[in-house]
Amino acid sequence: MSDDTAPKATLLGKLVILLVLAGCGYLAWHFLIAKPTSTEPAPGAAAPTRVQPSGTATRIAVGYGTEKERWLKWAVEEFAKTEPAIQVELVAKGSLEGAQALLAGEQLHLWAPASSLYTATFAADWQVKHAATPFARSETLALTPMVCVWWAERFAALKKPPQTFRDIATLIAEPTGWAGLAGKPEWGFLKFGHAHPNQSNSGLMSLVLMAHDYHQARQLGMAQVMDAGFQTWLTAFEKGVAGLSHSTGAQMKEMVLKGPSAYDGLCVYESVAIDFLRNAQGRWGDLRVTYPAPNAWNDNPAYVIAAPWNSPAQREAASRFLDFLMAPTAQRKALDHGFRPGDPAVPIKEAGSPFIELAKYGLRVDLPQVIEQPSGEVIANLLAGWQRAVGR
Amino acid sequence: MLPGMKAIFVLIIVAIVIAMFWSGPSEAPVAPSEPAVQAAPADALTIRIVYGSEKQAWLEAVTTDFNARRVQVAGKPVHVEAVAKGSGELIDDVLAGRDQADLVSPASAAFITLANAQSRAATGGDLVAKTENVVLSPVVIAMWKPMAEALGWPRERIGWGDILALAQHPQGWASKGQPQWGRFRFGHTHPEFSNSGLQTLLAEVYAGAGKQGGLTTADVSAPAVATFVQGIERAVVHYGSSTGFFAKRMFAGGPGYLSAAVLYENLVIEANAATPKPSFPVVAIYPKEGTFWSDHPTGIVERPWVTGERRQAAQAYLKFLLERPQQEAALRFGFRPAAVEVAVAAPIDAAHGADPQEPSTTLETPSAEVIAAAITLWRSAKKPAHVALVLDTSGSMEEDGKIAAARDGAVEFLGLLNPGDRLSLMTFSSTPQWLGQNLPLASAKAQSMAQVGGLIASGKTALNDAVLQAFTALQADPDQGAIKAIVVLSDGADTTSTTTLETLLTRIDPGPESGGAIRIFTIAYGKDAASDVLKRIAETTQAKAYKGGTGDIRLVFRDIATFF
Repeated sequence: MSDDTAPKATLLGKLVILLVLAGCGYLAWHFLIAKPTSTEPAPGAAAPTRVQPSGTATRIAVGYGTEKERWLKWAVEEFAKTEPAIQVELVAKGSLEGAQALLAGEQLHLWAPASSLYTATFAADWQVKHAATPFARSETLALTPMVCVWWAERFAALKKPPQTFRDIATLIAEPTGWAGLAGKPEWGFLKFGHAHPNQSNSGLMSLVLMAHDYHQARQLGMAQVMDAGFQTWLTAFEKGVAGLSHSTGAQMKEMVLKGPSAYDGLCVYESVAIDFLRNAQGRWGDLRVTYPAPNAWNDNPAYVIAAPWNSPAQREAASRFLDFLMAPTAQRKALDHGFRPGDPAVPIKEAGSPFIELAKYGLRVDLPQVIEQPSGEVIANLLAGWQRAVGR
Repeated sequence: MLPGMKAIFVLIIVAIVIAMFWSGPSEAPVAPSEPAVQAAPADALTIRIVYGSEKQAWLEAVTTDFNARRVQVAGKPVHVEAVAKGSGELIDDVLAGRDQADLVSPASAAFITLANAQSRAATGGDLVAKTENVVLSPVVIAMWKPMAEALGWPRERIGWGDILALAQHPQGWASKGQPQWGRFRFGHTHPEFSNSGLQTLLAEVYAGAGKQGGLTTADVSAPAVATFVQGIERAVVHYGSSTGFFAKRMFAGGPGYLSAAVLYENLVIEANAATPKPSFPVVAIYPKEGTFWSDHPTGIVERPWVTGERRQAAQAYLKFLLERPQQEAALRFGFRPAAVEVAVAAPIDAAHGADPQEPSTTLETPSAEVIAAAITLWRSAKKPAHVALVLDTSGSMEEDGKIAAARDGAVEFLGLLNPGDRLSLMTFSSTPQWLGQNLPLASAKAQSMAQVGGLIASGKTALNDAVLQAFTALQADPDQGAIKAIVVLSDGADTTSTTTLETLLTRIDPGPESGGAIRIFTIAYGKDAASDVLKRIAETTQAKAYKGGTGDIRLVFRDIATFF
């Protein structure tokens, strides 16, 4: 293969690869050890120093992935009722974007990306710049797998409901669109979307799952990623993708607000789908959730940043907000917003849980087969192949 | 082509498209609206939002509420100055630094995409980094309910093919059993200046190509597509820069003026909820081939004048707009809320001419290259115009540099007219004088521009006589397939005409069948102009009356050019 045609990862792509590797390692550790992570005593174990009101509030900025926006907005409002001396400002940041912003000196005091995939790379870069560890404290806020979410009417109209990405590829390829798929020419083409793999953790995860599904393999190798048949299939799939968003939450919101005119289906985090299920009612009909197989977990870490700009009072304020997020009330609220709580003590199968109440939309607790960690080389070439396929 | 080169190529094309499309005023009257009228407190931190005029009523209402709350940033109450402009115009102004707004909110995301491309080319950074949609509204074909029913609505889904068939049918509405409605008269805004106009053109091209996505330049250049677009465009009454203006004129003029126009859904709802109600109910037709959304993205401007304090204030205001009470207010104004917490409900309903379950599908936004090709196609397929430019050269025009500025504006106006259009040129002082009649602009543009560029001022003001003479000449033009319009500029009251104003108004009144009328656009130029008289002349022909001075006369002429 010539240099002109060989797939090459961009700098961002390389960062994503490192992010995936670090994250897969983290996830493996997380599920093998099965304990919540914390570098601080558990809430209530030791009384932390209170932030003293000093006439003006202690202000902290929290960088977060938009998939957690609604839960965190609730949390900020509730936290303000009990901690009026702490002012929390939410700053929406994608996983990579947040890391880059911190390295560039943006004064975030707490950082809550969609996953911990980028943690190791970020920490190494931070060490080089500041000669110190970047984190004063870390917690796992919640877990969530990937799902496909569809408008129920359209999902039901399909002669063969899609269960895999290969099924979706076949639907996208139908030249007459919904006319051929369900005798509904007024619905136009089938519009399926996922987040941008170079900008969003969920977009990259979608791409990884597509590759696994195409090859029907739990483990991916270079030969499979470079396979000409897969490259052709991926190019055709992505050509038919209706939209690429930098943000999973924003894409899901657009689907709910604009209905099937914008998207018939999306690949998103399970938490995002659940968070929007109730609000989607009474607009364009019900939603239907399916779990692509194989699947993968996304964790949602939160880090108190040990930065020079983060004063002791602000670190303490950030830690107190983190305590609030990890406390049972906020963890149960996270469950309401569709996350599987990071605190294993909060059950997800009890009454009131969305996994019970919203089960009719297709939610389920047990996951199908979960993928094994792909190598960095595999991810690099997968992402580069995607970039070449879509030209974006 | 390497991916990097391709990206650069696309960026260049995008920049060219921006320069082509949005270099002038659009979507709004030329004269910018006054800011929401509220005095800022003496100690206020005042920030400025410029926004697409389609949402003026809602935004002014909620901004008044916001200012009353005296939200504090850095110990100061935040005061928001909200200014309505056309979407293209506001982006142009902020990009150029003429308007140092803190927030922008055009009608659709296309303006943000294109503005950022232009900003990156100029400065290396975006104009607006992040946006939030504050309200939504689909682009629809607004049609009088009895007319829609004659087409089979709501039983049948109506699409662009139905519009074409009706536009081309020699019997017009008689082909649908309704001869009393005359010809099918259609309206949409100018695709080079207006969001909804461009979206209309793209929808026509898609329909002509039989596609809903993947549109290519080859599709655009297919003869069948040109025939399709031309077939619809020939039914157009006139173009324009403002979607809101079309809505007002359609609902005021009734079915005799326009059978249908491409508007935003909220304008249909607003009309049906208005007092007094229009002559018939209006319904929103969601074209069966698909449509586009107007989603009003709003974001903070990435420029040095937006200081840290101002950014904080802008964030507080944007957060306020997305809160439930403001989103519920948006719903009352006929917009679909941008907050998922607020359910779609009345007045997004059949009683107000809307269907909350529509649109069923949307059309894919094509590439910049395809958009440019579609615009080129439109220039050759659009309805031709015969424009009479009538300019006051009375002695008072010599004062304050008025004649010089008017010459510049008129020359620019002639430059914007299409080569397929025809021009008649008249000056008037003590008497009217033709400088040329029925001139094909393909060959006569340069000479006409030279004539206008050499005008001098002297004598009295025979306004009424000049307008009547120009009107009579256009009436005598046998071409029934052209937009016929007079553009008259005057800086003073009539002093010498034999024609009285009442006689003139009687002669130019098109009556109920106003769709094919000769429109008279008037410019009250300078502080001494007879603006009331000129307004009556314009409104009698359902055209637009402007006020202008030496500082903005070029913008006025450019806005008028969007009607043709």
